[in-house]
Amino acid sequence: MSKKAASLPPIIEIRKLRKRFGGTEVLRGIDLRVYPSEVVCLIGPSGSGKSTLLRCINVLETYDEGEVRVNGELMGYEEVFGRDRRRASPARLRESRRDLGMVFQQFNLWPHMSAQDNVTEALVSVRGKSRAQAEALGTAMLEKVGLADKLDSYPANLSGGQQQRVAIARALAMEPSIMLFDEPTSALDPELVGDVLEVMRSLAAEGMTMVVVTHEMGFAAEVADRVYFLEGGQVVEEGPPAELFNAPKSPRLGAFLSGWNRRNA
Amino acid sequence: MTAAGLGLPGLDFAVLDAYWPVILAGLWTTVRLCGASILLGLAVGLGVELLRARVRRAAPLCRVYVEFFRGSPILIQLFLLYYAGPGIGITLDPEAAGVVGLGLYGGAYFAEIFRSGFEAIPRGQLEAAACLGMPPLRALLRIELPQMAALVLPPAVNQSIILIKDSAVLSIITVPELTKQTSRIINETFTIAEPLLVLAALYWLLVTGLSAAGAALEARLTRHLNPSRKTS
Repeated sequence: MSKKAASLPPIIEIRKLRKRFGGTEVLRGIDLRVYPSEVVCLIGPSGSGKSTLLRCINVLETYDEGEVRVNGELMGYEEVFGRDRRRASPARLRESRRDLGMVFQQFNLWPHMSAQDNVTEALVSVRGKSRAQAEALGTAMLEKVGLADKLDSYPANLSGGQQQRVAIARALAMEPSIMLFDEPTSALDPELVGDVLEVMRSLAAEGMTMVVVTHEMGFAAEVADRVYFLEGGQVVEEGPPAELFNAPKSPRLGAFLSGWNRRNA
Repeated sequence: MTAAGLGLPGLDFAVLDAYWPVILAGLWTTVRLCGASILLGLAVGLGVELLRARVRRAAPLCRVYVEFFRGSPILIQLFLLYYAGPGIGITLDPEAAGVVGLGLYGGAYFAEIFRSGFEAIPRGQLEAAACLGMPPLRALLRIELPQMAALVLPPAVNQSIILIKDSAVLSIITVPELTKQTSRIINETFTIAEPLLVLAALYWLLVTGLSAAGAALEARLTRHLNPSRKTS
């Protein structure tokens, strides 16, 4: 456990999480904790369940068993005293996502809106800010990710790396206390990965709590406080990157890392 | 045989001279009724598709609607509405019956066009909206509808063109539209080719006008997709 974990209670707490898609169980009893200002990276082979795990945190996927708590609040379900819990209402779900920002592999920008409008849309329609307030904040966020000159550009006119940075600005504008990243650089050309990682690095340095599903082992080694290695829907190994990467305890992590090293040598 | 009028051999458009007011009145009726039918069809189609996709209990009913109006000829539907309608308490004048008939018929096709449009929007865009706390109605208005409108414009214009041409069947329920007026002229003047050629040319004009308007609107709605366009 990292130094940041010492005193504060976890901001995300996941216990015995299970998730099935049809007959396939993709998450088989996951336990995970994230402490305030921690950067936690989820690594593992494709199909290991790491993206599904991330998507269970903000309930883009509804989990079947166990629990996900963010700031102590149960996500996706409402607790009914003395009875089985029931699915949270859509309004409750929206409210409980308030602290969570999400960045997707495919950016998921709205192509018919300019970069600026992508960032300000939810500020106006969800947070109820005035047009002027939203634009001031939106401009500040786009400056923060290095795109001050692209306010009026449509996504089709931006590179993948620029689009992903707009997506990060869009999430940050809502002032979340936790940012979730689902393979944020996997859809990018190699030469564009650096800019996005740079923005993430500076976010981490500011103390943002981050959960990052990634294949960028360099980023994980450098920025993460802790790394979880998943395989087959279970956490195989967890700890500070220096321990996991330099002295993997499980043979499966060892095999995964040596495979990665071979491909990236 | 004289080669007069437009100079086409064997044709004499002079016989139509007395009938231009009638033809233009018919054209105006066709324009009015088609406009109303297309608007009704678009509204019904959008309503049906939204219900089908978002209200689980309404979905089977919406499917029955689409199957019925897509699965039977417009001629039969119009006969049923106009001649059998009064038997079940639906009494409409010919024009109203024509608009309702064409509108419901077109609505079934428009509903399918809208379905394909909505389904073409990547789900991830709506996940992003959900993560930002946007309620579904807001996401529909701000994210889905604008993109859907641009996507469905070509097939919707196509369907509207088909409706304009199908409006010729309104002549059989005595609506004095273009085709009805033209057949009256044929009966009165015993000429066939000239009125029919004018009729075809007028439909062609309507359709061409609509498709030009559609192309202009499409260019406007898809500006953001053009990567070469500099915006600042």
